[in-house]
Amino acid sequence: MDRGVTATPVRTKEIDKVAEAHSPLAQFEIKRLVPIQIGDLDASFTNSALFMVFTVVLVTIFLVLGMRRNALVPGRWQSMAELSYIFIANMVRDTAGPEGRRFFPFIFTLFMFVLVGNMLGMVPYGFAYTSHIIVTFSIALIIFIGVTVVGFAKHGIRFFGFFLPPGTPLLMAPLAVPIEIISYLSRPVSLSVRLFANMLAGHTLIKVFAGFIVSMGVFGFVPFAFVFALTGLELLIAFLQAYVFTVLTCLYLHDALHMH
Amino acid sequence: MSAESPPEPDLEDLDSRLKQARDNIRGPFEKKEGNEPLRSAVGLAFRVTVELVSALAVGLGIGWVLDEWLGTRPWLMILFILLGGAAGMLNVYRLAMSSGGSRGNGDTGKDQGNR
Amino acid sequence: MPQLDVSTFLPQVVWLVITFVTLFLIMWKVAGPRVGNTLETRQRRISGNLDKAAGFKKEAEAVLEAYERAMNEARAEAGQVIAKAGAELSEKVSRREAELAKRLTAEIAESETRIEKAVSDAINDIGQVAVEAAGQVVRKLTGEDADEGAVGAAVDQAMKTRP
Repeated sequence: MDRGVTATPVRTKEIDKVAEAHSPLAQFEIKRLVPIQIGDLDASFTNSALFMVFTVVLVTIFLVLGMRRNALVPGRWQSMAELSYIFIANMVRDTAGPEGRRFFPFIFTLFMFVLVGNMLGMVPYGFAYTSHIIVTFSIALIIFIGVTVVGFAKHGIRFFGFFLPPGTPLLMAPLAVPIEIISYLSRPVSLSVRLFANMLAGHTLIKVFAGFIVSMGVFGFVPFAFVFALTGLELLIAFLQAYVFTVLTCLYLHDALHMH
Repeated sequence: MSAESPPEPDLEDLDSRLKQARDNIRGPFEKKEGNEPLRSAVGLAFRVTVELVSALAVGLGIGWVLDEWLGTRPWLMILFILLGGAAGMLNVYRLAMSSGGSRGNGDTGKDQGNR
Repeated sequence: MPQLDVSTFLPQVVWLVITFVTLFLIMWKVAGPRVGNTLETRQRRISGNLDKAAGFKKEAEAVLEAYERAMNEARAEAGQVIAKAGAELSEKVSRREAELAKRLTAEIAESETRIEKAVSDAINDIGQVAVEAAGQVVRKLTGEDADEGAVGAAVDQAMKTRP
């Protein structure tokens, strides 16, 4: 009796696992690699966390080791490291304005973290933590709170004027202000949903077509070509989404620094 | 003696070349660059949807929380869904304005959408 | 959908914060400054080199100008020297000519006086000879010595009458 009760859930779990292995959504599954419990806090080291650590290591290697020779005439690797730096520096200057320069390390980190996170989903057995809404939303929330703090630090109480666009008739204020507030609050939502949805859709699509390769046997080369092209497109989108995410952050920063 | 003498190093020419070289080495925070991000109709449509849905969701959330708090279910939720819709429209309007090149108080033309 | 499994949210957020903050610190304190310094050093170096090049260019221009000025000066000087030499030469020539002319005139004058003296000497001698000859002629003819004074006077008389 005891054995039956315990055995059944194990069995169904096994079956679920087999079924999910073929599901295009299986790649997004969170696995607790090292369960860690601190008090009530579940801080388990998951596959998501593993790839976040990968990201930190990869970016550090890319930038720190890439610059280790510190050559005046850079090699290919160093050029790439410098290029990424210049790319973000230009973005910060063009989008957030010269004052945004102070936030450059954060924006650079953000871009690298999102970009590498997106890319890691392309790697076989990889995992894109940016395809998890909780991750993208948490990042967006950090940005949102940070930008709001910057706005209030810079403009003080006048930052509330952000919610009353200049030229609005006072009579319209009771309607305009809630709308503006909702619009402002929707920023982290749209920011995170856009990245999450792109990563989810792209990686699912690739997995679906990859599934076709297996099921179609000899004729699998057609979907294979498709997957190949799709992977190229996904790489582009992984980059573009990281770019968009970062540019919008710069834009919000610009709004907070300059208001209207 | 020979017919072809090497080109005379012209000092005027050197001047312009020096100027050009100087323009090329401005620092990362000063460099001017004019590349327009690519934009696609699908990307824009996706962005519009995201903006609308996000604002609606925020409106719904605020309405729901206020209703819970004040016990006015479902009126504030309905009101804030409407406000959320309006905010979504505002977001889309600003997105459209920024796409057109002019500037609203929110997003400017630098951003782009994809899918 | 695994994304909606709320139980996975907390560990993801915890590790997101840990890794993101770590990466931010690395970027902020190590990687960013490293890349930034390299870029700045290169920029400074290149603009320094460009400054140097501009300096060299200015120097070259100055040198060229100095060279041209020196050239012009030298040309002018050479012209002056040539003119001066020419003037000197012609002066010398004319001076020599003048000297020569003077000397020649002097010589001519001297010769003339010498000739005149010779002529007058000769004439005097002729008178003497004529007197002696006339004395001898008289002695031969008359057998006695002629009065020398009378002969002299006669010769003088005869010479005076002749042109």
